[in-house]
Amino acid sequence: MDKFILDQIMGQVSKPVRYMGNEYNMVEKHPKEVFIRFAFAFPDVYEVGMSHLGMKILYHLINERKDTYCERVFAPWVDMEEKMRQAGIPLFSLETKTSVSQFDLIGFTLQYELSYTNMLNMLDLAGIPLLAEQRTDEHPFVIAGGPCAYNAEPLADFVDLVALGEGEELISELLDAYGEWKDSGKSRRAFLESAARIPGIYVPGFYDVTYLEDGRVESVKPNTDVVQERVTKRIVHDMDKTYFPDRIIVPFMDIVHDRIMLELFRGCTRGCRFCQAGMIYRPVRERTPERLLEMAEKLVKSTGYEELSLSSLSSGDYSSLEDLVKQLIESFGEKRVALSLPSLRLDSFEKEYIHEMQKVRKTGLTFAPEAGTQRLRDVINKGVTQEDLFKAVSHAFESGWNSVKLYFMIGLPTETQEDLQGIADLVKEVARCYYMVDREKRQKGLKITVSTSSFVPKPFTPFQWEPQAAMKQFREKQGFLKKALRLRNVNYNWHDPESSYMEAVFARGDRRLGRVLLSAWKRGARFDGWSEHFNMDAWMKAFEENNLQPEFYAHRKREEDEVLPWDHIDVGVTKAFLWKERQMAIKGETTPDCRIDCTGCGIRRLGRGLC
Amino acid sequence: MRVVVKYTREERVKYISHLDLMRTMQRAVRRADIPIAYSQGFNPHPVMSFASALPVGVTSDGEYMDMILSESMSLPVLKERLNHALPKGITVCDAMAVDSKAPSLMSLIERADYKVTSIGIDWNKALAAYRETPEIRVEKRGKRAVSTVNLKESVYDIGVDRENQEVLHLSMKIGKKGSLKPDAVVEALLELSDQNIAGSEQRDTRGSLTAIHRIGLYYRRNGEWVTPLLEKKD
Repeated sequence: MDKFILDQIMGQVSKPVRYMGNEYNMVEKHPKEVFIRFAFAFPDVYEVGMSHLGMKILYHLINERKDTYCERVFAPWVDMEEKMRQAGIPLFSLETKTSVSQFDLIGFTLQYELSYTNMLNMLDLAGIPLLAEQRTDEHPFVIAGGPCAYNAEPLADFVDLVALGEGEELISELLDAYGEWKDSGKSRRAFLESAARIPGIYVPGFYDVTYLEDGRVESVKPNTDVVQERVTKRIVHDMDKTYFPDRIIVPFMDIVHDRIMLELFRGCTRGCRFCQAGMIYRPVRERTPERLLEMAEKLVKSTGYEELSLSSLSSGDYSSLEDLVKQLIESFGEKRVALSLPSLRLDSFEKEYIHEMQKVRKTGLTFAPEAGTQRLRDVINKGVTQEDLFKAVSHAFESGWNSVKLYFMIGLPTETQEDLQGIADLVKEVARCYYMVDREKRQKGLKITVSTSSFVPKPFTPFQWEPQAAMKQFREKQGFLKKALRLRNVNYNWHDPESSYMEAVFARGDRRLGRVLLSAWKRGARFDGWSEHFNMDAWMKAFEENNLQPEFYAHRKREEDEVLPWDHIDVGVTKAFLWKERQMAIKGETTPDCRIDCTGCGIRRLGRGLC
Repeated sequence: MRVVVKYTREERVKYISHLDLMRTMQRAVRRADIPIAYSQGFNPHPVMSFASALPVGVTSDGEYMDMILSESMSLPVLKERLNHALPKGITVCDAMAVDSKAPSLMSLIERADYKVTSIGIDWNKALAAYRETPEIRVEKRGKRAVSTVNLKESVYDIGVDRENQEVLHLSMKIGKKGSLKPDAVVEALLELSDQNIAGSEQRDTRGSLTAIHRIGLYYRRNGEWVTPLLEKKD
């Protein structure tokens, strides 16, 4: 790596600090003094990737090992990519500016489908063959993890290994296996075979997929004795004992989530039927308030951060929430650490801590009713009533809040015009809650921000069989809402249906989509999650070129007995449970929170949580 | 207690912006457990201010910040604790207590000295052209409009290093009296003498082929140039 040329091009791009590294708490090791070099790659820009909690945990966890140096790699923004290609600078790590091709292993974390082309682009910039089958002894192993890895089929051609589930224990076992293999003189395949024996490791190359004539998957079968028919995700069992870093990197630049994220628990017991996270991260495992307080204290001290957020799927459900918040305010109020609290539970703290709360900074008020009517909220099993919402916003307005964000989804299964009208009605009612508060008591300048996302059916959810609404329908729904929400103090945001369409295609994609991905990338697709870079034309041509129809993946209704491309992956929650939930959804029947009663989702086979 | 702190910004962190630097200092002060005072109001922030924004890509031996402490503390301890809490590449060299009514650093500073090192540029040729030109108009971006100013009025002194022909010494007005960036001067010099930076089509001075280093910031006190810590300029 020519550091001189690198320095020269960094002087010519926007935000060069993205590529600089050297932040406080960055881990420094001498590459010659370690045996294994691991590149942790996030397929998006620095400020997005550095906001990701999983990366922070695994970066420090891997670096606890004396034999391994874990370094970070992000996708260079388009201006940097252009300069790098012109100057012949390969993709490099932030820590030591080492070319990524020199590493032993590259672990990509896949948080959203629209980052897949960035993964390909990063491999290409690193000078690593994109196709796993073309890699030889001189190349690193490419690993994929994160929520999208649960259906990694569209990436099967490009990755050597997939890590399913929580990485804290898995990654150490994988590195041990790699350490034994390295310098042993054994083949690449030998390492893949030993890795495949680790629970949670999926080697796509060890499975063959056959298709029916109509394009549906016929079967997914192992092609070697080394692996089992199905691969089961990994979970950690004791959250208090599970590794969490005492210090995390403090970026120089302003990143998306620039604060301490305190992970109260993993999993979610609500069982919202659209939510993939709620299914794949089961069971619910909490940390104790004592452990959380200890973590918070260490992190505040080691980072100097001025803000702390409670970061879990539904932090308001944490069993000892009031106790924890009380202790956090007592410990950090004086130190001026702002605390963001779950919006729905604000009222329970306000009464007692209103005084302390004013010492620390007030953070935003956000609610996600997701649907406009109780009927549709029952369909999706979103256990929030409009009374809950009105009570919470009224209380917040009385306490001096004047802006609120409301999130909804459009295109949900069974949605009708009435449900869309329901969104507008709910918004009007929230505004009314504000005007009901005494003029003297309320803060001037009400601001309601309404955002709708376009529903994307995800694998491992009760809606995995459902068609996505067509782009035309999304536009009509958005058109209706644009008119209906043309109200004073209300701001309406919506998503491009095009990118939601591609997200839906890849979320439930099969292996054949790898070819489409490759064509789209060759046509310039990258940063697809950034609306200014999303290129629908490149995608449509890529489908045409490969004789595949995107509608087949996004708009087709699947039958109960269809073999789904991800059926050989076991996330704990069973297909039978998901189908039962799907049937109940259509009838508008709800399923209680599994803290109340076990709903028999199947996760208990892997480990007990609070359910 | 009001304290002025002198610090460096070295090669390894030279690409941070002024906003990044302010955030970094605020967090370092918190990590170092320095009893910094907070402003009043709805959104209290630590009371710190900076002498001058250092452009992205420029290193420096002498930057200054001013902070108010809510209780007094020993300056050597403050320096040691801050250095422990700062990322490598930002180093506190010294600290001095100042009168609470002393003018702000930003209003005090009048002059910034730079060392510009470049490969493949004939500084002598560039300087000859500079001296022959009575007025050099350059664009200056204000908050609202773009105006043009005479660049020469912003330059106190300019000259090539006697021993190293690759090094240009540049002394500029800064603060109230004008705040052109040093790269504006380098760009103008290259344009006047019709030179390009080796290997680059653009006359982009943020690339390391011209490394810009700030030597220090000064103001005039009793007829002499001194730093905010009253060190005399050599």
